Amino acid sequence: MAQTRRDFLKMTAALSAASFVGVQLPLQEQQLAHAKDAEAWHRGTCRLCGVGCRVELGVKDGVPFALRGVADSRTNYGYLCMKGMNFWKCIGHKDRLKKPLYRAKKSDPFKEISWDKALDIAASRFADAIKQNGANSVAYYGSGQCLTEETYLFQKIMRGGLQTNNVEGNPRLCMASAVGGYLSSFGADEPIGGYSDLEKAHCFFIIGSNTAEAHPVLFRRIMRRKLDNPEVKVINADPRVSQTSRIADKHLQFKPGTDLSLLNAMANVIIEEKLHDQAFLANYVAFKQGKEGQNASFEEFAKFVAPYTPEAAAKTCGNNITAEDIRQVARWFATSKGTVSLWCMGINQRKQGVWANNLIHNLHILTGQLMKEGADSLSLTGQPNACGGVREAGGLCHILPGHRPVEKEKMRNQVEEAWGVPLGRIPAEPGMHTMSMFTGINEGKIKAIWINCTSPAQSLPNCNLYNKGLASDDCFTICSDIFKTRTTEFAHLILPTAFHFEKTGVYGCTERRSQLTRKAVNAPGEAKPEVWMAREWAKRLAAKLNDPVIAQCIKPFEGLEEDFALPQAIWNEYTQKLTKGRDNDLRGASYAVLARMADGVQWPAATEEFALTGGTVKKFVKGMDPMADSESKNDLPYQFYGPAHEDRKLWIWLRPQADPSEIPDAEYPFYLSTGRIIDHWHTMSMTGRIPELLRANPYAFVEINPKDAEKLGIKPGDMIEITSRRGTNTLPAKVYEGPIEGTVFAYWHDQEANRMINKVTKDDYDPGSKEPEFKICAVKIKRVSGPQPLTPFLVS
Amino acid sequence: MPISGVVITTRPEDLHQTRQFLATCAGVEVHGADGRGNIVAVFDTRTSEEMERLLKTVNACPLVLHAGITYLNMEDVIDGEGLDSGTTP
Repeated sequence: MAQTRRDFLKMTAALSAASFVGVQLPLQEQQLAHAKDAEAWHRGTCRLCGVGCRVELGVKDGVPFALRGVADSRTNYGYLCMKGMNFWKCIGHKDRLKKPLYRAKKSDPFKEISWDKALDIAASRFADAIKQNGANSVAYYGSGQCLTEETYLFQKIMRGGLQTNNVEGNPRLCMASAVGGYLSSFGADEPIGGYSDLEKAHCFFIIGSNTAEAHPVLFRRIMRRKLDNPEVKVINADPRVSQTSRIADKHLQFKPGTDLSLLNAMANVIIEEKLHDQAFLANYVAFKQGKEGQNASFEEFAKFVAPYTPEAAAKTCGNNITAEDIRQVARWFATSKGTVSLWCMGINQRKQGVWANNLIHNLHILTGQLMKEGADSLSLTGQPNACGGVREAGGLCHILPGHRPVEKEKMRNQVEEAWGVPLGRIPAEPGMHTMSMFTGINEGKIKAIWINCTSPAQSLPNCNLYNKGLASDDCFTICSDIFKTRTTEFAHLILPTAFHFEKTGVYGCTERRSQLTRKAVNAPGEAKPEVWMAREWAKRLAAKLNDPVIAQCIKPFEGLEEDFALPQAIWNEYTQKLTKGRDNDLRGASYAVLARMADGVQWPAATEEFALTGGTVKKFVKGMDPMADSESKNDLPYQFYGPAHEDRKLWIWLRPQADPSEIPDAEYPFYLSTGRIIDHWHTMSMTGRIPELLRANPYAFVEINPKDAEKLGIKPGDMIEITSRRGTNTLPAKVYEGPIEGTVFAYWHDQEANRMINKVTKDDYDPGSKEPEFKICAVKIKRVSGPQPLTPFLVS
Repeated sequence: MPISGVVITTRPEDLHQTRQFLATCAGVEVHGADGRGNIVAVFDTRTSEEMERLLKTVNACPLVLHAGITYLNMEDVIDGEGLDSGTTP
């Protein structure tokens, strides 16, 4: 019987699925051989979250026709989530920005202009601001979604060319506390292990992360491990019962803001019951306390955590968990053959975000649950290139490429030499961090800003406050993006960018893994890659400011075509000149190597030969990490060569419980927490334009515990007003045994003015990481009506 | 005509019952399974919206722990069926 194309596609789909789980099907691979058509498969990374799933985009006649997971990729083993399988629909979407748009005043309508004119205006306004108000009156605000090449080039132009460290990115809002935690606990940013530990772990400690919805492909790996090995323990600690709780042996539902007590109590149990690893502590660990990191001892640490008895912590945590629960999870954590902790925004977006990170690391250091198979302290990232681009390539105001702190002259000089710019060109002072930058706009200190691939008008906490400044004509505002957003509403100049698979570059995901995506289709209209925009802008800046050093910053990239040669040259400069000898050494991860690898390279990987093995699976372990061998100072198997700890030790910190900066009171009696839903991503500018995803969840809602709902007379679907000291939202209610009593939970993706929850959230931030405490604020709630018809909304 | 290859995971003891549930879902073809609770299925729907709805339905089944997509073909999917969008109210 003749095989139809539909039959062929079904067989392809079935065999693809079967191959990932080793199920034998009564189908033959050779049946597929005849139907290759004129199709091409282009390998790249998923555009959305930070897992780094590898995909192949099928393209026929210049149009995408299929997407499939890459089976031999160690990130996703071929699996994709609902968002991941749909992101391609942004390619060629009718709403795509296709021409530069300009208006002299923010109250004027936009007019289409040429690229030549757009870049000229962009350069003139930045040059004018610098001439009149100095270099620190201009700023770049980027994104963990920009390619590494983009982040690197922009920060090079800003620091080496314009002489300002006002370089920031939205990872400040999500990952900065994890950076602070890794640096202060391990002496080096980013995890020691990675996803490969998931299949070897015997205990998972998931805290402040709804992995099932935010990182579904990783959740599948955890779930598979648990199902295949029922003795594996899964602990889920979260004020909200979520989809992640489905596989938990124990859910610890603690009151928001009490996690530091819980973590200290676990440490106390471990010490009380002598479950700590004394040999590990003796060989590798120092104890620290206070702001300056004064030395402490094991005995002082034991004394410090002693008051955090399980009974006391259970009470602090709201009496929703028992002392025995805490003892049990501490024992599971300490005694398993390998424990992996995973966390995300629930830990990072806190006034004590760095401390909370430290206390998770404390448990791993205390028990030696590190470096060995199946053990790691693994911070999950929310964006595809927060690690690779922003954390590693200089995308934050205090960090230069290659994990170099700005304030260290030697580090600045290394960068200046690599760039061929005069020593002293990079300012010694870190620039403005995100919250300070947008405060600076409100205060008239920032006169020109380039916002790239992100929407702070929606994603900043307490956004009403910062949108006042963004609405003003005093700050010349450039937005480069693929769609209009809440932030383009405040732009003078909108620049249309190429989307993923419409340009070439590298993303670095959660586990130190860099992966290349090559251009597969043309961008629509006149949309351009950001690396081209940055180079052409800098060329004009050099002329307008009559500064040859700015021209020097882009000289290595002059004349290169933007689809491949330009990003390759930028990547080469960054990796060969600025990661050499650094802990994120990527010299072996050339484009040629990355193109050969199904799943990229984990740094450090100094040579191509080593990079072709996949790179370093476990940092600091001799025999696995070449830098641990080359940096070895003694006979011990682990060598902590991270740049931040000169004593080459892991540090256990004495950190007390501290309340969030706002707790409920008589006027605002509820906690509000916010988070992500499986169908949407960030500010919905992409997922909101994918009809299937939009219709699955067309607008945000608020989850309320049934007991609270009953007290307030709230029924499912009723419209609820949520008010904080900063703003108000009106949202439909979902009455649900999710949030702990006394807490409501809202999704943050919705662009509609009355449902933008960041009007309500709080902008206090961690004094160390400068990351805001999105996750906890005090609100009052009120039923305003029964269910109302609502309309989905996107800025157009 | 979107077509997906999907691995549906259930607890091994729920495998039979899950297969019975999937048999009631229009657009789902079960091609195989194993003793670990993996079910290999193909989803075949008229529109991508139906595909999404089907995935939601399967994921919402209490017996199903995870539905992982491995392949999606979207030839002939009508694009540009976006929602009405507007300006700030």
